[in-house]
Amino acid sequence: MRFFPLLILLLSLQAFAQNQSFQNSAMRQLYNLANTENRLTLGGYGEINFNGFSGKANEIDVQRLVLLFAYKFDDRVQFVTEIEYEHVKEVYVEQAFVNYNINNNLNARAGLMLVPMGIINEYHEATTFNGVERPSLDGKIIPSTWREIGIGLAGKSNELSFRYQIYAMNGFVSFNEAYVLEGLNGLRSGRQKGAESVNSDINLSAKIEYYGLPNIRFGLAVYSGKTQTTDLENPATQVGLTMLGADYRYTKGRFSSRGQWAQTTLRDVAAYNAAGNTDLGSKMGGYYLEAAYNVLPLTNRQRIDMFVRFEDFDTHKETAGGVASNPAFHRKETTLGFSYHLSPGTVFKADYQHKNTAANENPIKQFNVGVGFFF
Amino acid sequence: MAAFAPVLMLGVSKKAEKEINKTFEVSQTRLAPVLSQDVTGIEQKRMFRVTSNENLLGYAYLGEAPSKTDTFEYLVVFDVDFAVKKTKVLVYKEDYGGEIGSKRWLKQFLNKTPDDRFAYRQNIAAISGATISVKSMTEAMNTLMISLASWRENGEPYKL
Repeated sequence: MRFFPLLILLLSLQAFAQNQSFQNSAMRQLYNLANTENRLTLGGYGEINFNGFSGKANEIDVQRLVLLFAYKFDDRVQFVTEIEYEHVKEVYVEQAFVNYNINNNLNARAGLMLVPMGIINEYHEATTFNGVERPSLDGKIIPSTWREIGIGLAGKSNELSFRYQIYAMNGFVSFNEAYVLEGLNGLRSGRQKGAESVNSDINLSAKIEYYGLPNIRFGLAVYSGKTQTTDLENPATQVGLTMLGADYRYTKGRFSSRGQWAQTTLRDVAAYNAAGNTDLGSKMGGYYLEAAYNVLPLTNRQRIDMFVRFEDFDTHKETAGGVASNPAFHRKETTLGFSYHLSPGTVFKADYQHKNTAANENPIKQFNVGVGFFF
Repeated sequence: MAAFAPVLMLGVSKKAEKEINKTFEVSQTRLAPVLSQDVTGIEQKRMFRVTSNENLLGYAYLGEAPSKTDTFEYLVVFDVDFAVKKTKVLVYKEDYGGEIGSKRWLKQFLNKTPDDRFAYRQNIAAISGATISVKSMTEAMNTLMISLASWRENGEPYKL
């Protein structure tokens, strides 16, 4: 959180000069001084990564650079946005919503929002997770960063120690003048990111999290609805889906651990695959488990978390309509490495990944190094 | 400058008043400023002495600290010896990080005194997903205790 008084002053002068009529410039200045404090928050996060492979060229990438802006209109109304540069040249709006704080326990929100499913999709700043790359499950099963345009409620009860979110949202596109979804990446290729997105059906997304026990936090999420299509006359261009997710995060002293399970059940897949000549699975899902230990004393400002993570997930857990289950879509991955937190907000990461599949052919062995920041 | 120093007090919300009364188990209390001016780490307008029928019950501090994209307001109630009797998040405007209002989590500050120090993940538990606000509240409480201790060392009496 950093406040830039000059910038805020300039922005406010511009905004209020247009909307307010002041008796004189002194009054305007007074108004600005009294009202500019803490109105605008600027922040950012990002990661610059190196992926080393054996048998093919390495890759070096400014994977993402995200600028966070939040503007407070008054005590209750706030606008939050994240502008993301991916691989230097692709620009996305990752979040852009208005939050209306009705009371301490209830907010209404509308705009482009993160779908609350799993851990990484909502908490994906490089300093908040271990591993240079996000868990693979949070790409193939939960297609992070998964965001959609919608409206809903979010809040918490500190008496009962739970947080809730419930949104009506747009969903994945399955047919946009062509069949979009396939077996390898599951729903990922159907992400619309809020860009001129196709809408034919409303989806529902909800998550509750419980934080009433010491050091641990649990999450349970559900996402349900139908995919979106441009061909409203042809039911074979749509599938129904229900995704369930469960996760935990544990932190005590130098030890931390997290785990996540997610499963998507799809309906009407046989007709979709036949019509589109594709191989979308009818059930996909899996889990990962991770444990980490900080080898530095807790009194140090810095932290080095050594970690190991196991992942097991399958985008062809079940198939329909004569599509054979592809064992290469059943991934089994191990990641071993460290996150060196140089300061709160900066991290240097290195790890080794062994990515195998149930087909057990040519596992990928990968070495990653990255630097990340969050302010 | 004017020759008099006006006593600036924060408007104490009904909610804060209710919490203070509840903490001391009385139906009505009177709040008055403790400090005659700002001291290091403590603004005059944020610190109150709490009395009931002329009896000193303790002190109350109304603080403000940053969350991810906003600020939140909290209350700390002390007994006459400045041991923490209650911490409560009064107003938390944004959604992210609101977990610090958890009664369970805030319990960690109970009965602590200006001699105690707080450090995130050492003697104060983390809350996954609310790291910014947890660190912020921990830091704020730590600063408050250090300020109270230094105020005491500088010879300022507690009981005015």
